[in-house]
Amino acid sequence: MKFLSKSAVSAIAFSMALTAGAHFADAKDKVKVAFIGPLTGGVSAVGVGGRNSAELAVQLRNADPNAKYEYELVAMDSECKPNVGVQVATKIAADRSIIGLVGHYCSAVAMGAVDIYHKFNLPMSVWGAVLPDVTYGNDYKEIHRVNGTMINQNDVAAKFMTEQGYKTWVIIHDTTDYGKGHDKYFSEYLTQNGGEILADFGVPADQQDFTAELTKAKQLNPDVIYFGGLTPLGVRIRAQMEKLGITAQFQGVSGIKSDSFIDGVGADLSEGVVSFLEGAPVDKLPGGQYFTEKYKAAGFAESEEAYGPFAFAAMNLILDGIEEVGPNRKKLTKYLGDIHGYESIVGEISFDDHGQNTVAAITKYVVQDGKWVVWEDSEYATGKRKLAGK
Amino acid sequence: MTQSFKDKAVIVLLAAAAAAFTITFIAIEEQAEIFALILFAAALVFAGAKFGFTRSIAQSLSRNERLMNVAVIAATLVVIFWFREDHFPLLMIATVMLYVIACCGLNMQFGYTGVVNFAGAAFFGVGCYTAAVLGDTSIPLLLVIILGGVIAAIVGSVLIIPVLRTRGHYAAVVTIAFGLLFRTFLEVNDTLGGPQGLGVSGMNLFGWDFNNNIEITENIELSFYLNYVILALVMVILTFVLMRRIERSWIGLNFDAVRLDETAAACFGINIKRWKIVAFTLGNFLAGTAGALYAMMLGFIAPSNFAFSDSLILVSIVLLGGMGSLWGTILAAGLVVLLPEKLQVIQEYRFLIYAVVMILILLFRPQGILPRGLRAYIPGWRG
Amino acid sequence: MDVGLLGQFVVNGMMLGMMYALVAVGFTLFFGVLDVIKFSHGDVLMVGTFAGFSTYLGMTAIGIDNAFIQLVGVLVIAVGSMAILGAIIARYLVLPLKSAPPLNTLLVTLMLGTVLREAIRLFYPDGSNPKHFPSLLPTESWSLGSFTLRADSVILLIGGLLVIIGVNVLINRTRLGLAIRAVAQDEETAKCMGINFKMIVLLTFALGSGVAAFAGVMNGLYYNEINFGMGLLLGVIGFSAAIVGGLGNIYGAILGGFLFAGLQTLGAVALPFASAYKDVFAFAVVIAIIAWRPTGLIAEKTSERV
Repeated sequence: MKFLSKSAVSAIAFSMALTAGAHFADAKDKVKVAFIGPLTGGVSAVGVGGRNSAELAVQLRNADPNAKYEYELVAMDSECKPNVGVQVATKIAADRSIIGLVGHYCSAVAMGAVDIYHKFNLPMSVWGAVLPDVTYGNDYKEIHRVNGTMINQNDVAAKFMTEQGYKTWVIIHDTTDYGKGHDKYFSEYLTQNGGEILADFGVPADQQDFTAELTKAKQLNPDVIYFGGLTPLGVRIRAQMEKLGITAQFQGVSGIKSDSFIDGVGADLSEGVVSFLEGAPVDKLPGGQYFTEKYKAAGFAESEEAYGPFAFAAMNLILDGIEEVGPNRKKLTKYLGDIHGYESIVGEISFDDHGQNTVAAITKYVVQDGKWVVWEDSEYATGKRKLAGK
Repeated sequence: MTQSFKDKAVIVLLAAAAAAFTITFIAIEEQAEIFALILFAAALVFAGAKFGFTRSIAQSLSRNERLMNVAVIAATLVVIFWFREDHFPLLMIATVMLYVIACCGLNMQFGYTGVVNFAGAAFFGVGCYTAAVLGDTSIPLLLVIILGGVIAAIVGSVLIIPVLRTRGHYAAVVTIAFGLLFRTFLEVNDTLGGPQGLGVSGMNLFGWDFNNNIEITENIELSFYLNYVILALVMVILTFVLMRRIERSWIGLNFDAVRLDETAAACFGINIKRWKIVAFTLGNFLAGTAGALYAMMLGFIAPSNFAFSDSLILVSIVLLGGMGSLWGTILAAGLVVLLPEKLQVIQEYRFLIYAVVMILILLFRPQGILPRGLRAYIPGWRG
Repeated sequence: MDVGLLGQFVVNGMMLGMMYALVAVGFTLFFGVLDVIKFSHGDVLMVGTFAGFSTYLGMTAIGIDNAFIQLVGVLVIAVGSMAILGAIIARYLVLPLKSAPPLNTLLVTLMLGTVLREAIRLFYPDGSNPKHFPSLLPTESWSLGSFTLRADSVILLIGGLLVIIGVNVLINRTRLGLAIRAVAQDEETAKCMGINFKMIVLLTFALGSGVAAFAGVMNGLYYNEINFGMGLLLGVIGFSAAIVGGLGNIYGAILGGFLFAGLQTLGAVALPFASAYKDVFAFAVVIAIIAWRPTGLIAEKTSERV
């Protein structure tokens, strides 16, 4: 039975090599850091990608002879369920040997867990959850977030799409906190920018058939179909639009900016789909290329997905902090609070007094020939290719 | 050595062993240790059954029920005391206890009366939301817990007509549909926080704030979860007494008659509808009270906690323990709540392994871990 | 609402109803012979779809790219392998629990569903992400105003209909069907009449699981997307549909399937409140129907089992 994944095997081999090496070098103090994400269930692809990226950051740090400590990663599964999230958060926060945490892709889980981190003074950074309230809903100095919120994203998205000359939208969003939040902020910014919303459909996150909603959308004949939700649903909706002969432009959110979206709908149908993601484009930054190379070299079985770079950047930030101020939660919290203009693989990071990264540059992406391409570099921006209905 | 002395010795030893096992199981973290302990327990149970120890122990237990109850409570207190400063183990122990209460409610329905309920998590959730909404008002929080149960029972009354008219799988679908409807409604409707969930204020009993650590001296600081564990333990004991009293009274007799044969029971003048309503309502009440305290303990609730799969977890505890068996429910709740948590070490593989373990247990013990014995006219009565 | 649009909704709803009905038929068959609910049914469907998908990948890899041959291959492998899987589940998980409380079968199969789902997610290459299922059917479409009819939808509808008719003929017109019905009526009497009880149970489970695999492939061809979680909701809805229609009755399963699809479509497009409430609406109606007809719309013919 192939019980352990390739990533686990490589991690074991790696740590064995490391222990062997440690005999020759000075024995370093061990420091524990933690990761929380959804490792089982519907959105596990993103969670496992984030876990691998955080693990990579730890591996690379351990391989660095200049590092002062030897790090151990404790990774936990939140199942994307708040009650399980609170449990694992308590487990990690109560374990005093764990100094820092990179956690949460699911906003509802993060919302429930932040109180615990505050109570136990555990400094942490969110790597994927985009609900604004995670950082802005409290005054906890322990809570930080390297990625932007859905507010920034939808602000940019609404401006950009209206600039392209689109006038009318039909919104489909899932009824989780993620989808509903996107719906709220996009509608807000779109109306400000003069776009018109013809209809707004909420759908459960496990729905398979969207023909009823899409047929109604077809009748309204919008310029754009906006989808607020994650890859699996996005794939289904894009594929079913084709079945019903809907030619409107398909606009997604950060949740679909993954290679699996393109694999899922196929290169033809994904052509021209636009999406928005916080952070500078990873491949453009020198650190980003380094990350992509190392991730490939580490031999993980799963892809890093859209939020892997954020998990990597957040983990690196925490490791840098521990190197700087030592393994102490209070000192690390203070270190993180003072972060300003920190260079990371997702661009500069500067936290405001809520711990929110304010340099949340939003990058616009479009699918071109089966690949996500930064809008400004695409043939769409030069006018060589045209978005749907243009 | 007299028989009664031997019985007592067996019970005390058993309770001590159970406490030791629980402490070890909760405390260990390493993958190899966890699997070794699970295998060890399985081997012990298997050997016990093979060489007939299980039966003689069971006889000793049934002869000294009062002592056994005391021993179990003492063992639980030992476990709690052992972890007095550790937040996470206490949280898990309290969670197991609250699941036990909710599953006692389901046992009243499934195990005693034969009314199926696949929406346990929904009624648990009604209790949680009651605590979230009423927790900030001036209503005393102990009363809020009871109100959680009352409101769960009231919400459940919507289903009484379909549940009374249907049986078996048809009743199952009624409750499954209700469970799905409940969760979707909470997500779509924003008045109760929507998908983002709601914060819940912690328990506060006569000015004693449950969410603060208990400082005894400078160096000894007990975990704040200890408050919740003790309150949950009190609730479990009350629930247990209630369940036992009902089981052994004429009410329990009526329940059993309804479950075993509705037609025959009706022929003997038993009002089937009345007893089904009583069992269904009381069961939902228990699930609701457990939910209310659970919400206060976690401090945060969201609709995705009350999905169909969570109802199924409650049902699987009841089935795994053995329908209607209270001690079985406790064992099964411990297993179902703690095992996935222990399996965190294998991360994304944990549900696969958990499901396989459950299948194996059910194949080797189809009646549940500790099946409830056949009912005598008056249980525990020896003429 | 204009007629073309109405027609579009009807065709969409029929497509959805056909898939629900095919799943519900499986539930009703299993219940008929053994009085058990096999909750892993939706996940068997999912595994069947992945088996079909792998077959397609394999055939493409060895150079067979004729869509028709590929389709036949996908169907044969998917249906065949799931029929075997169904029989194995019956032999090793369902039959051994025959004397246990019926709810235990439900729990075991539920756990099996988790095992299948997690196994695909973890061990199928990149299994946690959705996969692009190929279009193997002709994709021409005819448009009439706002009404679009696609060739593949028509073929799938006809295919589904043929399978349901086939199952019906098998149950009601053949010796095997007679044996299945006999076992469903009374296990002991059937045994006395020389029917190999175990064999009939295995065959019934194989049949039901094969139909589920067909529904899965149909699902893949229609939506062009498959994922490891697709069986979960289909299973619950299929079960509800079988119950609403009346267990142990194939017509009931079909009726239930189409009814449920109709309710969902109606809830999404024609109700005054937000479309997100459509599942709340559909399940509320299901509860109401069961309260009104406690043994389903088409009640079981046999008298109450005591």
